[in-house]
Amino acid sequence: MTIMSRHVARLLLAPTWMVALAVMIKGYADTGDGFSAGIIASLGVLLQYLVVGTRETTQLLPVRYAREAAQFGLLIALLVTFIPVLWGDPILTHYPRPGESVTHLGTLELLTAVLFDVGVFLLVLGVATGVIDLIARSRERRPT
Amino acid sequence: MLVLPLAICWFSAVGLAILDGRRPTVAWTAVGALTAAFASIIVLATDVISGQPQQVVAGGWLPGVGIVLRADALGILFAIVSLGVLLAALLFETLGGVRSRSFPSLVMFLATGLTGLFLTGDAFNFYVFFEISMIASYVLTAYGEERRQLRAAAIFAVVNLLGSVLFLIAIAALYHITGRLDLFGIGARITEVPSRTVVLSAALVFVAFSVKLGLFPFHFWLAAVYTGTRPAVAAILSGAVANIGAYGLLRFGAELLPRELGFSSPALLVIGSASILYGGLQALSRNTLPEVLAYSSIGQAGYILLALGIGEQVGYSAAVLFAIVNSLNKGLLFLSENLRGWLVGAAFAVGGFSVAGVPPAAGFVSKAALFRAGIAEGSVLLIILIFLGGALSFIYMLRSYQRRFWVPEAPPDGQPAAHGSSPLRVRAIVVALALLVIALGVWPEPLLALSRDAAAVLPPVSVESAR
Repeated sequence: MTIMSRHVARLLLAPTWMVALAVMIKGYADTGDGFSAGIIASLGVLLQYLVVGTRETTQLLPVRYAREAAQFGLLIALLVTFIPVLWGDPILTHYPRPGESVTHLGTLELLTAVLFDVGVFLLVLGVATGVIDLIARSRERRPT
Repeated sequence: MLVLPLAICWFSAVGLAILDGRRPTVAWTAVGALTAAFASIIVLATDVISGQPQQVVAGGWLPGVGIVLRADALGILFAIVSLGVLLAALLFETLGGVRSRSFPSLVMFLATGLTGLFLTGDAFNFYVFFEISMIASYVLTAYGEERRQLRAAAIFAVVNLLGSVLFLIAIAALYHITGRLDLFGIGARITEVPSRTVVLSAALVFVAFSVKLGLFPFHFWLAAVYTGTRPAVAAILSGAVANIGAYGLLRFGAELLPRELGFSSPALLVIGSASILYGGLQALSRNTLPEVLAYSSIGQAGYILLALGIGEQVGYSAAVLFAIVNSLNKGLLFLSENLRGWLVGAAFAVGGFSVAGVPPAAGFVSKAALFRAGIAEGSVLLIILIFLGGALSFIYMLRSYQRRFWVPEAPPDGQPAAHGSSPLRVRAIVVALALLVIALGVWPEPLLALSRDAAAVLPPVSVESAR
């Protein structure tokens, strides 16, 4: 890899994640959700693997926690899904309910639906990164 | 109440994924969780079957807007049987010693997928839970992690991913035609559409579920997978996962597309007959037990299609009954595949009799229901075919029983150790399953009533009028 592509790949990582975050937050008023955000973020990671190589990427990014991220994300999403059942609401009821007042953080409305999407984001990012890492390692062990 | 079994399975699957499943405590935790889910399904079933179907709309939205979870007699019956077989297989493997750290967690993920699938009222969620259970079963097939298991897993994953894609296309097409994703809405609107618009989606649905069930022209993956995997996983695949095919054909075919099912009934009868004869003859020509059982599964799947082709309440209830008894039979036979001892021999004989439809095993009841459906249809050919299929399965089950339990195996180097019995606690599961099969055959009234209730969920469109 040329020094040019290495630098561009490094530089692109932060903007990719920024876009992923924006897609997730935009999801409440526009096209986007946690799933596509997770895919975009893992594309950023995939670019590092392709350009910089497996060893340097694993030094640069906490890839080894991919499994934990996926499990933690799934757990968050499941908790948001099932906890409303405890006080008799249907599953996936989000709070505050429609019509109630919402805390704003800039333009982001703090709903439990955001938490659900964060869970989905972590799940997708964790699984995708884990699979990318697994394939990259298996190629490195057996050079073609 | 409706979400409790789903929540138990799902949370325990995620929790167990972190832990090492080879440790006995972890495996026993999984057994406990699955037992709890099974118990809650049974409690739910008593509510549903005695009263009305239960329904929850996610997020408290209006029905038709939100995603619907729905429990009716048909779904809950399949859920009970599938979770029961899963529980038996998990207990079997736990007592025998789990060999891989992910096994208990994968079984729980599979339980999640199956529970969700049988209790959903939404076509797309059906697909999602379908994929959860299929992905869990791809990995489960590789359990044991030797060369032949990995080969079986590769075949299974490739063929069934194709089936899943076809099913996804079918759902997209149904959504395009009707503008609805909830099963109730699709069923209500599909009758207003001319039949030629729907027939392609109906064919796709049929192929997708036939691949899953292992019917004759779509069976090519089945033998390699069932012989390659370990006995517990083969029991799970043929006793629990294959139920997806039977349930899907009933739910999508008989409930959503009764018109298309009606006019394709001759084709279903032909494919079903071909499957019965092909499976029976192939099973007869095989020498190893796993192969005989695998081909027998293809033949047994044919009966379900036959009952579906006959249609009406009598055919549907025969299909439900046959699917349930068949998954118990196959769970029993695959689990006793590698065990030794006279108790296992007796249990295996019960399973074999049940497959052949000999009283007092439960298989007799389901064969009798099929005969009844055949008589209602008024076709002599069908009755002869059902009888012939039964005779074939009697011969191949008897032959494999003789070969397996009567012929003393030549000890490879004169060691008598190979002839010792398997641990009693492992054999106890097989014996318990065999007793269940006999009990259902001796006292079939509850099972018959349940299958009638399940068939009553489906619309009573007669095939004749649809033609």
